[in-house]
Amino acid sequence: MSIPFIKYSKFLLAISGLVTVISLISLFVWGLKPGIDFTGGSLLEISFSQTRPDNQLIEKAFVELGHKNVVIQKTGEKGAIIRTAFLPENEHQVVLKGLRTQFEKDGNVLHEDQFQTIGAAVSKQLRTRSVWAVFLVIISIIAFVAYAFRTVSQPVASWKYGVTAIIAASHDVLLTIGIFAFLGHYNNVEVDIGFVVALLTVLGYSVQDTIVVYDRIRENLQHRRNVSFSEMIDIGLNETLMRSINTTLITMIPLSALYFFGGATIKNFALALLVGIASGAYSSIFVASPLLAYVDKWQKTHPKK
Amino acid sequence: MAKNAKPVVSLTRTQVKWRVLWIGILLVVCALIVAPTYANKGVDWVNSKANLGLPRLPDKGFNLGLDLQGGAHLVYQADTKMVPDIDRVDAVEGVRDVIERRVRGGLGVSEPLVQTTKVGEDFRIIVELPGVADVNTAIKMIGETPVLEFKEENNEPPRELTSQEQKQLNDFNKAAEAKAKLALREVNNRVDFATVVTKYSQDEKSKNNGGDLGFVSANLYPEISAWAKTHKVGEVSKELVKSFDGLNIVKKIAERPATSTVSISETATGDVAITEYQIARIFIKTQQKSDIVPPTDPWKTTGLSGKQLKRAEVAQDSNTGQTQVSLNFDDEGTKLFADITGRNVGKPVAIYLDGQPISIPKVNEAILSGSAVISGGFTLLEAKQLSQRLNSGALPVPVELISQQKVDATLGVDSLTKSFRAGLIGLLGVMLFMIFYYRFPGLLSVFSLVVYALLSMATFKLLGVTITLSGIAGFILSIGMAVDTNVLVFERLKEELRFGKNLHTASEESFRRSWPSIRDGHIATLVSCVFLVWFGTGFVQGFAVTLAIGVLFSLFTAIVATRAMSRLVFKWFKEDGNMLFLGYTKKESSEVTNNK
Repeated sequence: MSIPFIKYSKFLLAISGLVTVISLISLFVWGLKPGIDFTGGSLLEISFSQTRPDNQLIEKAFVELGHKNVVIQKTGEKGAIIRTAFLPENEHQVVLKGLRTQFEKDGNVLHEDQFQTIGAAVSKQLRTRSVWAVFLVIISIIAFVAYAFRTVSQPVASWKYGVTAIIAASHDVLLTIGIFAFLGHYNNVEVDIGFVVALLTVLGYSVQDTIVVYDRIRENLQHRRNVSFSEMIDIGLNETLMRSINTTLITMIPLSALYFFGGATIKNFALALLVGIASGAYSSIFVASPLLAYVDKWQKTHPKK
Repeated sequence: MAKNAKPVVSLTRTQVKWRVLWIGILLVVCALIVAPTYANKGVDWVNSKANLGLPRLPDKGFNLGLDLQGGAHLVYQADTKMVPDIDRVDAVEGVRDVIERRVRGGLGVSEPLVQTTKVGEDFRIIVELPGVADVNTAIKMIGETPVLEFKEENNEPPRELTSQEQKQLNDFNKAAEAKAKLALREVNNRVDFATVVTKYSQDEKSKNNGGDLGFVSANLYPEISAWAKTHKVGEVSKELVKSFDGLNIVKKIAERPATSTVSISETATGDVAITEYQIARIFIKTQQKSDIVPPTDPWKTTGLSGKQLKRAEVAQDSNTGQTQVSLNFDDEGTKLFADITGRNVGKPVAIYLDGQPISIPKVNEAILSGSAVISGGFTLLEAKQLSQRLNSGALPVPVELISQQKVDATLGVDSLTKSFRAGLIGLLGVMLFMIFYYRFPGLLSVFSLVVYALLSMATFKLLGVTITLSGIAGFILSIGMAVDTNVLVFERLKEELRFGKNLHTASEESFRRSWPSIRDGHIATLVSCVFLVWFGTGFVQGFAVTLAIGVLFSLFTAIVATRAMSRLVFKWFKEDGNMLFLGYTKKESSEVTNNK
């Protein structure tokens, strides 16, 4: 059994292109909801010993304390995560005291589980570093793939493997971003440092997936000389198909466990990885390889002088 | 690169057995490192039975991050504007030292992590306080900037005026004199005294009262009293009367005998001042040297400060049992202290904290040893607080808290349990999948996975890698990558078997041919990890470090461990692989009779 992937490559690339465009649109229309890592601000996680007051009541308490733009998110049965503007330590104590006088009645005790503040200087540093990290990872991965495929320059130059691998990985990153823009709009999901880390990991992972496919093509190129490049890609894809599916499933099993059982703090991080890695397996088959075939075709129709 | 010419490595049976044995030993060693408790129980049991005196294994826990054990992570920005460029690094290191002393001594945090970083032009101090419940107090203690100084008596005369200041002073006084003469002329021209007072007088107290000072004492107004003595009631001075702070035109309103209390004291000092005078005056202020040169402080700084204090401790006087605070200076401080005490024998030296004298001990003799005691009616608590405050010293530059993260211990434990459980579920899920799908080789990979998990965890422990929530996520992710290597090999194995190769050759080939893509794929992930580590914040580093260690060890376990086990056990099976390997039987293969 052999699936003729390249035969459908136009269709497959069109779907992937569409997905990318939709992701970009949702990114530009809704935008990502930046967390306090990037905007600066405070995050307060509290829990109550008996009952959690309604979000409106908590919000009202904050407004009375002079903090208007608060986002309140329920966690578990009795907890809440509250995001506010930057609270200096004295303000933090005032807020805590205010909440306690407001809600500590009839033996209901407020417990502060977590408090985090990020000042403007730190968030600025994190923003710059994030951009640099993404940029440098992309550059070094292209360089590495080009190096790994340096002996394979026929029929496609080695650096083009690197670029197509990165295009496929960008597809995965954009899809993940698009989904988080959607979640940010409809579910108040914020992106934080963990999200950037997930994206970078997805980049590495997606390229790793693509490398395995390309590597098979590379190996086949050295053995068989009587088939076209497109056919060669098809053979390579079919040979590595089960591996791609299984590896992805195997990686997603522990990540799903992390998503469902790992607790609130790590949930979005696990989700970003799940989306990105699933997309990574898809793109190494349906984006990276058809692209390689297209590069070959284009080279043949546009010969260099 | 897959080179065709490479011959299939063939090891002797003994070599293969040795390799598997080594892996077994490694597994046991790692297990002992990861969970020494059970082994120690065994050791105790043996010792109790046979008294061999076997040593117990070190029972050290994992190095848990703040998000898993609770605690606080504080980031301070140092304000180095006032410090010259070249001294900044030293100043910030000084801040680091002081903060570390404060959290160790004052808060009793046994393993604080205080480090400095430079971000662009900004210096930051990162303080990690594991297991601290009362972060609020911690922040207060760190943020306080007590300034500790040693001062000696100031005997220096006030400085002389500069010529410019002298000129300024003269000009001011000339103008004052001109103004006073103007007022005097008006008074002499029979203008009402009270009117001139309102117009000219600069004595705010008496101005609204027609210049009336009431009865004045000779002590406060010696010059005016002297004038009043020789003039009659109702008379106004024809000339200006100089007092220490200005020029006066005075009018004697009344006189009376001095009150008894005053007369006694003044008689006692030999002064004959038995009459008091009621005086009104027009006052024009003049400037004195003391108006320009600030009044001298009775204490002057000595250059000895909290910087040179090595340690302060609570001590007890061996003779009187009095609670004291003993001081120890560093080398520079010892020298300074010797000089200071040497020139101040018999005189007091003041210890100032935040500009307030907290103790003014008297120097009995020059102290050359660099140690001293402050004695003076301390209670034990006061002495403790004082020594703590002295130990904390002063921050060389002010700091500002720009970021904090505080995690409660219960939340930490909760996160740890949850993520541990998630990891375990994930691991079991992967194992089941491998056995279900890859059958016998899958079982081998499960063994490898156990080796992998224990090896990674032992490494975390030995290297002291801080395990954070993100670190556990990284480790969980690396489980997938570790198995991926096996998946690559086993898929290849199936293919080679389908080509009709025998089990031994197929196995060797599959390992050899999968190697380049395994290697390249892992490097791609490692490249990401390197930049993530560089990224620098706690969350990211925790993740990247465990992921990188995981990726490296997954190479080892898949290639070395799985391979060695395959070489050992594949011999036990039919040459062409069977149901256990392929999931189907090779019916088309003529020579095979399946035994399963």
